[in-house]
Amino acid sequence: MPRLKTVLRVLFAALPVVLALFAVASKSQAPADFGTDLHGHPIRELAGAGIRVVVLIFAASDCPISNRYVPEIARLTNEFSRQAVRFWWVYPNSGDTAPIVEKHNRDFSIDGESLLDSKQSLVALAHTTVTPESAVFVVAGGALHEVYHGRIDDRYLDIGKERPQAQHHDLETAISAAIAGKPVPQPGGPPVGCSIVFLQK
Amino acid sequence: MKTLRIPLVVVPALAVFLCLLSCPLASMKAAATKPEPSPAVIHDPMPETSQPDRPAAPHSETWSHDVAPVLYKNCATCHHPGGAGPFSLLTYADARRWAPQILTVTQSRFMPPWLPDPGYGDFADVRRLSDQDQALLKRWVTGGMAQGDLKAAPPPPHYDSTWQMGKPDLVLKVAQPFTLAPGGTDLFRNLILPYQLPETHYIRAMEIRPGAPQVVHHANVVIDRTASLRRTHPDDWQSGVPGMELFVDAGNRFDPDSHFLFWKPDTPALIEPEGMPWRLDPGNDLILNIHLKPSGKAETLDAEVGLYFTPNPPAKQPMLLALERDDQLDIPAGDSSFVIDDSLTLPVDVDVLGCYPHAHYLGHDMQGWAILPNGEKKWLVWIRNWDIDRQSVYRYKEPIFLPKGTVLHMLYTYDNSSANPHNPHTPPIRVRAGNRSEDEMGHLWLQVLPVNAPANGPDPRLLLEEAWMRRRLEKTPADQIDMYNLASAMAGQNKFAEAAQVYEQELKLDPKNARTLTALGAALEGTGQVDQAREHYASAIALASPADSAGCDARFDLARLGVRRAEYAEAEKEFRDLLAVCREDAESRSGLGAALLGAGRTDEARSEFQRALELNPADFTALYNLGAVDADSGQGEPAAKLLEAALRSWPASPDAHEKLAVAYGQLGRPNDALAQLRAAVALAPDDARIHSSLSQVLDALGQSEEAFAEQKRALQLDAQDADGWNNLGALLARGGQTDAARSAFEHALQIQPDHAQAKANLARLSASR
Repeated sequence: MPRLKTVLRVLFAALPVVLALFAVASKSQAPADFGTDLHGHPIRELAGAGIRVVVLIFAASDCPISNRYVPEIARLTNEFSRQAVRFWWVYPNSGDTAPIVEKHNRDFSIDGESLLDSKQSLVALAHTTVTPESAVFVVAGGALHEVYHGRIDDRYLDIGKERPQAQHHDLETAISAAIAGKPVPQPGGPPVGCSIVFLQK
Repeated sequence: MKTLRIPLVVVPALAVFLCLLSCPLASMKAAATKPEPSPAVIHDPMPETSQPDRPAAPHSETWSHDVAPVLYKNCATCHHPGGAGPFSLLTYADARRWAPQILTVTQSRFMPPWLPDPGYGDFADVRRLSDQDQALLKRWVTGGMAQGDLKAAPPPPHYDSTWQMGKPDLVLKVAQPFTLAPGGTDLFRNLILPYQLPETHYIRAMEIRPGAPQVVHHANVVIDRTASLRRTHPDDWQSGVPGMELFVDAGNRFDPDSHFLFWKPDTPALIEPEGMPWRLDPGNDLILNIHLKPSGKAETLDAEVGLYFTPNPPAKQPMLLALERDDQLDIPAGDSSFVIDDSLTLPVDVDVLGCYPHAHYLGHDMQGWAILPNGEKKWLVWIRNWDIDRQSVYRYKEPIFLPKGTVLHMLYTYDNSSANPHNPHTPPIRVRAGNRSEDEMGHLWLQVLPVNAPANGPDPRLLLEEAWMRRRLEKTPADQIDMYNLASAMAGQNKFAEAAQVYEQELKLDPKNARTLTALGAALEGTGQVDQAREHYASAIALASPADSAGCDARFDLARLGVRRAEYAEAEKEFRDLLAVCREDAESRSGLGAALLGAGRTDEARSEFQRALELNPADFTALYNLGAVDADSGQGEPAAKLLEAALRSWPASPDAHEKLAVAYGQLGRPNDALAQLRAAVALAPDDARIHSSLSQVLDALGQSEEAFAEQKRALQLDAQDADGWNNLGALLARGGQTDAARSAFEHALQIQPDHAQAKANLARLSASR
């Protein structure tokens, strides 16, 4: 079984890096489920086999800034899809029902995986407050560890302060770092968008 | 013959800076601080399961009573289903959904979009939220967003997708829809909508339906008189032409742009003030210069423009003029306070009706003001935090009167540092003036209406144009367009020799410019150098391609010269050649009519004039000549109608006033005839014939003393008028001054020995002794 030994050695060699990464990440308390898909089925697992990084994109069908990021998220999805990264479009507002999101996804050519976070458990898990906002989790030990949450890039500095194009692609940088097992840079500024309509506690 | 076309003056090729404003993304939120892993509900003032019908606290604001009126008045014009705003704000549920954003954007004054600082220009349709309403919204959101009694709420405003002003008289459409990509940077596109009617119309209102209002930030409509943009993009104009700014060829006629045809989402219908319609001629294009923001999905723009006609030509002639200092724009990288300034002294009294400040992404602080001759300072506008996305035209609540001698000023500051979030360059680079969005501009456009202009003076817009172009040439002495426009303004004032000098100066820079050769020909014609004029027209025709507008203008001027020289056969041939090669227009038809009339072929002339009026019901030449023919044949009633219409097209025509007086005389309306002749005299105080006509009408009305004075004045201007001396003699004879009367009759006979009436009057005088 010489081959197996080699694999194990590689895994062991990687371990210190993973541990270093975990030093800046927080282990998240996973809920029983992660919302439902657009057919009403519960989502039990965000990662799945072979997935190393999970990215959540919090979106709202009626939020114009959120919608304007659709092409950018499509670009990132395409860029990282072969690197064991799984993207989810997360709709946390109760007004975004399955039929509305289905139509929205058709209108905006969103073909990624979508879920309805009707209990806003992912909002709590990811600590997000607005749409669009992103969260990055590293999969380790069967658990999700949040290493990043915040803006996608710095195109919007505030409501009404918009750059012609982004200068810093915070989410892209974070995903790359997470994949590489490096310390993940945190966002350079606040997320800008539409407040999530929070459920009363 | 009458003037066929206003002397060849020019239109400034208006740099149409079109980028507009919109109902920008309305209510969105920026988290104020770097997000921390904190409870997610912390800054949500409106938990979803909170009770929408919770009772209002005593004296607290409710949506029904307090908030709905504010939202309906200030927000709903964009924020309604199908509107330009990204979501609706017509219901209580809408307001609750977007309450955090409402709070954020109203407190920061991002919404409603309004850039000018209060107190620096008293504008109409101010969209700035009042301090009271701003505070009310804050109290409502932070106080729990009470609903109140829905039955007491005002009815929501009604919006539908039909034309707001009813069915338009004409709808112009783009040749093919334009598809905006889902992502990327903002886009500037020029969509071309050809005006395809064969006749001229005056436009009293316009409504623009861009097709996808939520992605259209703003749009400027440019009238391309010569279809120049379409001609320079013959293969792909149907899908629109990219570009933030554009220049159009305004042709060779003094026809300055006079209206801000600026569209923003909450004002789809542009209604012009009474008496100030704008004009579309056959062959014109409308260009929809449009600023688009990708929405995240592909959007199709099937733009259409609805036009509402009026039969009445403009009674008031405003003009757009600009302060600008593009020559100073050379902004070092990193400079956060680069300043430019400009000034312009007004040569005439004006009312300022509106302004349009314009810069690109580096503009920051923009000031415009006027210093009156008495030293008083009047603010025109001050924008302290410029944002190209929210630019707009601003119209004053009341016109600002500025007397002659007032100095207009602009002072703009630019921020080319990395701290400017709108800076398109990272890191900043040196930026100069230019038409691309990443270049810069610094303009302050003003819409002015000349006032208090003397009736017999030159068109005050020509004086404004001359002053404006002289100022521009001080800044950029070798600018050919400015030279051309200056010369044309001078030619329009009959300062032909000076105009010719400037045209010649321009031709040194561009010897084969057919348009300038034509204009120089017209100026030389004005100085009486007919042969040289002909040569220049011929050169222009030879240089221009056959159907090119400059070549057609040269053909027209050559034909017109034939009419003026009473060389009717040649003129007829030239007009027929012109009509064979160039687009048929009213002026060419009426010009041909004038040539035929001159040759005595009245019926053929009538036919051409009628055709001209089909093409342009307000064509002065056709109206005047048809009216004159009728008046000369004693048909006072049709003559009066035609000549009244002619005067609506050109109120400053002394000939039309004079002929209308003849028609009124035929209709037994001497007092009306008198009024017309007085108007004619005011316009042409040195025209002996009109003084003489006025004298006769005054005499008929029994106002002998003034009649005598007018006849004397006529003879001072033209001492060789035998008729005038005879008429003077008659007045003197009736006044009992027989010796003086005899002398006058004899004078008439010295000039014209066979003057039958003078002979008869002299005989009658001798017999009565």
